[in-house]
Parts: sequence; structure tokens; C-alpha cells
Amino acid sequence: MADARIVVKAAGKRFGSHQVFRNVGLAVGSREVVAIIGPSGCGKTTLLRAIDGLLPLTEGEVTIEGTPVAGPREGVAMVFQHFGLFPWKTVYQNVAYGLKLAGASAAVIAEKVPRFIELVGLTGFEHHYPYQISGGMQQRCGLARALAIEPRVLLMDEPFGAVDAQTREILQFELLRIWDMKPTTMVFVTHSIDEAVLMGDRIVVLKGRPASVHEVIAVDLARPRTRATLAEPRFVELRERVWGTLMAEARKAEFDVTQ
Amino acid sequence: MRTARRWLEAGTVAASLALGAVVWEVAGRLTSGAFWAPLSTTLASLGTLAASGALVRYAASSLQLYATGLALGIAVGAPFGLLLARLPWLRVALEDYIMMLYATPMVALIPFILSMLGFGFTPKVLVVFLFAVFPVLYNTVEGARSIRPELVEVAHAFRSSEWQLWRDVMIPYTLPFAMTGVRQAIARGLVGMVAAEFFLSPSGLGQMIMLGSQNFDTANMLAAILVIVVLGVLLMDFGRWVERRFAPWRRASE
Repeated sequence: MADARIVVKAAGKRFGSHQVFRNVGLAVGSREVVAIIGPSGCGKTTLLRAIDGLLPLTEGEVTIEGTPVAGPREGVAMVFQHFGLFPWKTVYQNVAYGLKLAGASAAVIAEKVPRFIELVGLTGFEHHYPYQISGGMQQRCGLARALAIEPRVLLMDEPFGAVDAQTREILQFELLRIWDMKPTTMVFVTHSIDEAVLMGDRIVVLKGRPASVHEVIAVDLARPRTRATLAEPRFVELRERVWGTLMAEARKAEFDVTQ
Repeated sequence: MRTARRWLEAGTVAASLALGAVVWEVAGRLTSGAFWAPLSTTLASLGTLAASGALVRYAASSLQLYATGLALGIAVGAPFGLLLARLPWLRVALEDYIMMLYATPMVALIPFILSMLGFGFTPKVLVVFLFAVFPVLYNTVEGARSIRPELVEVAHAFRSSEWQLWRDVMIPYTLPFAMTGVRQAIARGLVGMVAAEFFLSPSGLGQMIMLGSQNFDTANMLAAILVIVVLGVLLMDFGRWVERRFAPWRRASE
């Protein structure tokens, strides 16, 4: 891909003698959303951490904007399944955290934080602590914290995996709305097939033990995607296709675990 | 309904305290003055001591000892606890000593301190310090070690430097644990204060108790004990307030 912002080349990760994945290749364009899906334990979250530079690979390399990733870098932000909010900081202080570490001035922080809090719909909750708001609101806060540094690469680690089904759906469409306002490179790890089809321009299916890229499915659904997208025949078709690829593997993985 | 229950509770507490005072008074009147003084006599002694300025002098001496030892205990215990959590090899090297000293009744060390350092202010401060430092140290180490790894990961993902990680994550996370240690140190330090005043050079409220006992002046002795009881209750309340003050988030998120 000519304008690839993230390139993963022949990536492999081993923990001791356990090879999690091997020979994973992937390129993500500058305005592209790639969803990574695979059975539990296939290393999709590990791969995402390697892309961020939180974990070193044992084989291969990741480059972002042409330079190899050696650690977390400027312009890349991550949203975590566990939200990762600091319980002793208010919503405002949590959103300001990334900006503060990036060296933003007090004036910039005072301008940006309320703007991003508004963007995720948390206005009025600036001075609440994480334990005082719902899980969905906590993840809105996590999202605002990531967006506030205006990243060129957004890494999403099952961001809606820990919230209830209704909230999850609301947040998916919120994220789509926000992404449409300012499209950027996004890697979205999920174990929900619907979510992968709804979010991704392409879906990378990881499969096997150790896992590798089994299939890349192009999602030719028009943007902006809305609730109406869910009712399109093409959406249903794609979902069935991913389901077919994944479920055979999931079943096998489940039986592997039992043995 | 709720106010009714609160009144009932306050009434019960008041009745219990009043009954306790009556029992004290009656017990004092029925026994020899050498063993037990009635509450009224104790309060009268307390009034005399307060009026003569002796009470303030003794209490000030005790509080000076207590505050110095406690402050040193906190000032050493909390930073050293963080350091131990930060340097695993140092923790492994010292952990057993800390556990041994934490488990040792510190009173057992007082004769040893006496033979090492003799009389004076310094050995007494050392006793209060030893009573106070271990709860702070122990709770700080355990707190810092229980840091949620995902919060450290968030800090790394946002490119936190080591120093920023400590400022933004480790210290705020550990603070409420350290405060639990401070609350315990506040209580244990008071024990250390009285023990030091008994067994090292007599001074302060401890000396007042000893003098009262030796002179069969039970009213004076009970007056001094009463002052220590009130001090203990106030300090425990203060300790609990301090602990809560620093961790509004901890109670709710655990």
C-alpha cells in the first residue's frame, strides 16, 4: 500500500516456549480502519500492544510513518478495554493527562479538554470521579483522553468489550460519528463480528496455533455508517462470511482448551 | 425516621457514658482511696492540676515527644516504603527484618535502647519512632506493590517518563495505603509515648501516672490516665479523618 501509515512485517511473538502468532503482515492506510478479529488467545491484543510499542516483538517489525517502532510514540494513542482511568483523577484531569505528558501548555489544555469532553458527550461530568459514572461514560472519558492528543494513529483494544450491549451499540455509533468528522488511521481489535464489520474498512482474521493472518476481508459498505447500515443486505452477507471463517476456528479453539 | 434513630443512638451513648460515670463514682466511694478515686475527686484533681499549670506542662512535654517521634516515623516510613517497592532487590534483602520488627512488641526493645542510649529526649523519641515507623513502612510497601499493572501500562502508552510515572501514578495510588499506615502509627505512637515515659527518663503524662501511683495519689493518677484516654480518642478520630481525606476514591472503587 502506497500511503500505509502502519506496516507490520513478518511479525511474531513468543512468550517463553509459547508462540502466540507468527508471520503476521499488515498495512493500514492513513484514513483506514482495520478491524482485527480472532478467537480468544490468538494474540490480537498482544499484536496491538506491539504496534503501540508497549511490547517488543520476537520476530519481524512494525513501522509507523516509515520508522520502526521501539516504544510508544508521539501521535499514537490507545483506548483500553479496562478503560485505564486513574481513579484519583476527575474526568477533566483524566482527559488532560495525555496532553500534560505531551507537554501541552496550560492554555492549550484549558482549550482542548472541554472541547473533547463535549465531543464524547460528557459535558457536565468534568468534576466527577470515574467511580461516580457508568462504565459507558468511563469509556467515553478514555476515548476523550486518547482523542485529545489528536493522534494520527488510534489503537482500540476491545474498547467496548467491558460495557453492556445497549451501551456498546450507542458507543459504536458515537465512535463512527467522531471518526467521520476526522478520519484517521485506526486499528480496532474486537471479538464481536458485528462490530468488526461495522467499524472496519478491512477485517483481518487471525487464526491457527500459532496464529497468523488467515484471511483479509474488504468491507465495501459506504460511509458514513449508521444504524441503517446494520439493515443492509451487504452487511448481513459480510457478517455471515466472517462468522463462517471464525466460528469453525472458535469451535476448534474451544475444544483445544478442553483437552 | 432517620432523625428518630439518630436521636435514639445519641441517647443510648449518653446514657451509657452517664452510667459509666456513676459506676466509677460509686466504686470510688466504696473502696479505699489508695486503690480507686471517685470520678468527682479525679475531676477535682484534674482541675487543680490544670489551674496550677502542671497539666499543661506535662501534656506539652508528652506531645512534643509524641509529635517528634510520629513525624520522624512518617517522614522515614513513607519514602523508604516507596523506595522498597521500587527496588525489588532491596526489598528482598530487608523484607524479613521489617517483618520481624513489625511483629516484635516494641516494648521489648526499651531496656536495650536504655542500655544503648541512656536517658534523655533522644532515646524516648527513638521509642515513639520505632512504634510509629513500621505500620507506615509496611502499608506503603504493600500499597505500592499492589499498583494495578494496567495503570502503569496506560502511563507508558502515553509516553510517561519514570519520574512522571511516580508523580502521576505510583505516589497518588500509594497515598491512601500510606495513610492507613499513618492511622495505625498515630495509635501505636501513643503507646510508644507512654511506654517511653514509664521506662526511660520519666516525663510528661507517663510521669504523672507513675508519681500518682507511687504516692498512692489515685485521683492524680486517674486524672492523667483520663487525659491520655481523651487524647487517644481524639487522635484516633483524627487518624480516621486523615485516612478518608486522602482517598475519596478508594472506598468506592474497592
